[in-house]
Amino acid sequence: MLLQIEELTKVYRTGTRANDGINLAIDEGEVFGLLGHNGAGKTTLVNQVVGLLRPTSGSIRIDGRDMVADPSLARRLCSFQAQSQVPIDGLTPRQAIDLLGQLRGASKSEVKVRRTRLMEALDLEEWIDVDASRLSGGVKRLVAFAMAAVVPGRVVMLDEPTNDVDPVRRRLLWRQVRTLADHGAAVLLVTHNVIEAERSVDRLAILDEGRVIAEGTPAGLKGRLGAALRLELVMDPDATDVPTSPFGLSAVPVGNRVMVGVPTDAAGQAVAWAESLERAGLVEEFTLGPATLEDVYVALVGGADAGSAEGREVFDATAA
Amino acid sequence: MQLLRSYRLLVTWQALRKKNYLPLMLAVQTLFTLGIVLGYPLLFPTLDRTAIYLIATGAPAISMLSVGLVALPQTIGEQKTEGSLAYMRSLPVPRLAYLAADLTVWLAIVIPGVVLGVLVGAWRFGLDLQVSPLVVPAVLLVALTSACIGYAIASLLPYMLTVIITQAIVVFVFMFSPLTFLPDKLPGWFEVIHRILPIQAMGQVTRGTIAPNMFGLPLEAFVTLCVWCVIGFGVTYAAMTRRG
Repeated sequence: MLLQIEELTKVYRTGTRANDGINLAIDEGEVFGLLGHNGAGKTTLVNQVVGLLRPTSGSIRIDGRDMVADPSLARRLCSFQAQSQVPIDGLTPRQAIDLLGQLRGASKSEVKVRRTRLMEALDLEEWIDVDASRLSGGVKRLVAFAMAAVVPGRVVMLDEPTNDVDPVRRRLLWRQVRTLADHGAAVLLVTHNVIEAERSVDRLAILDEGRVIAEGTPAGLKGRLGAALRLELVMDPDATDVPTSPFGLSAVPVGNRVMVGVPTDAAGQAVAWAESLERAGLVEEFTLGPATLEDVYVALVGGADAGSAEGREVFDATAA
Repeated sequence: MQLLRSYRLLVTWQALRKKNYLPLMLAVQTLFTLGIVLGYPLLFPTLDRTAIYLIATGAPAISMLSVGLVALPQTIGEQKTEGSLAYMRSLPVPRLAYLAADLTVWLAIVIPGVVLGVLVGAWRFGLDLQVSPLVVPAVLLVALTSACIGYAIASLLPYMLTVIITQAIVVFVFMFSPLTFLPDKLPGWFEVIHRILPIQAMGQVTRGTIAPNMFGLPLEAFVTLCVWCVIGFGVTYAAMTRRG
């Protein structure tokens, strides 16, 4: 494995345990997703890999070499798109990308070829000579990606690369993420956009309160959910109680919706149950569809406000 | 080689980042120096010749201190808060190259305004400034020391505390530091403090090299500044390389 993280723990001086015994291994050519709520410990993890933070304990190795002992080597071996915007106001995308490429050791002419190809692939040519202070947040984000990708390290870490990016260019960006992996990089993708991650990653880990609570391929994780279908109930605003699932699977509230896992052979029963809830005025509308990675995520981590012990139990039971 | 290459590229980066503000900062720096040189005689119309010389040759130090100990730390504090400093620290370059490049650009911003301010002040009051060639290292040392101390403050303290402390420093520099007046105007114990702090030394080396015909140039002031410069740079470098 190219990037090997073992028993990584980070406890801040405030006492917050941001990472708690994390084990991850990512191979070259692989796009690995790191999913989790805000505050789950994702950014803390990448900041340790790139040498901005020192782990409290555990090890980080790239190609067998110890990154904790040599953070300057870590910075050379990793290219990094941070969650915050890059400080490039005053520079044009052309200048910013060329400077980063040269700082990563490539020659001016080599960087020019790579930058031209990337700008074309991301459909950014019209902004190439516009001062970054006049660019939209989404275009700036794409430029930040191009800065990380123009001369990639062995490990490419992208922290929320699609934030603010329009849907068309998101697709272009994902294609470039895949290209990075195809050229031999190990791509570590940090996101809380589960739907996009499902389409883009080879494997993923879900982080919650600093711990990896699930890891696998999107299909593998969905298989462990124990429900091939997902019933989504849009609750009536006046309804106070979450309905109990008749299928023995999780019913997880997410905002005004409730996600219910449904086995394939119970599709008819699920529709009938949802219709009865609708007639009783508890549910405004419902949809039945194939389960997604989001359902796995919701079952494990819960909605925006709370974790789901019930969902995790069902998940763990199925996995066992 | 990597150090020099990184330094050159980072100077380009930082200069481009600041280029939109460069003319404005140049104008503000010039007006700042001029404001002191021209403003004091308006407040105190009966100033004698020595006092005018003191003001004209002390103003550059005040100007450099205001950038190094106020504008710079506040900017670095903002960069820390918004995460852009962490991004720059994640680049595959020696931290020394980054720090040197950033300081170079700050010096390039502060020094032209200071020079212009002194020239206009000298012309306005018809001062006879027999500028010594030592003015180049002197001004560089003063600007660098202020910048290093400012950088160290911003590196060590949280943003809000940086803002408060730098505001307090401004008051101290303007009102209670022997830059536009001689130290014997201060109480004895205050004089002792100023022998340790770098502010008085900054005034001594600027005025001693801008108008050596009027003021002495104590070697001790150079030594004091060098010590503070090394401390400021060392603390900043340690903070830049430290992993949280």
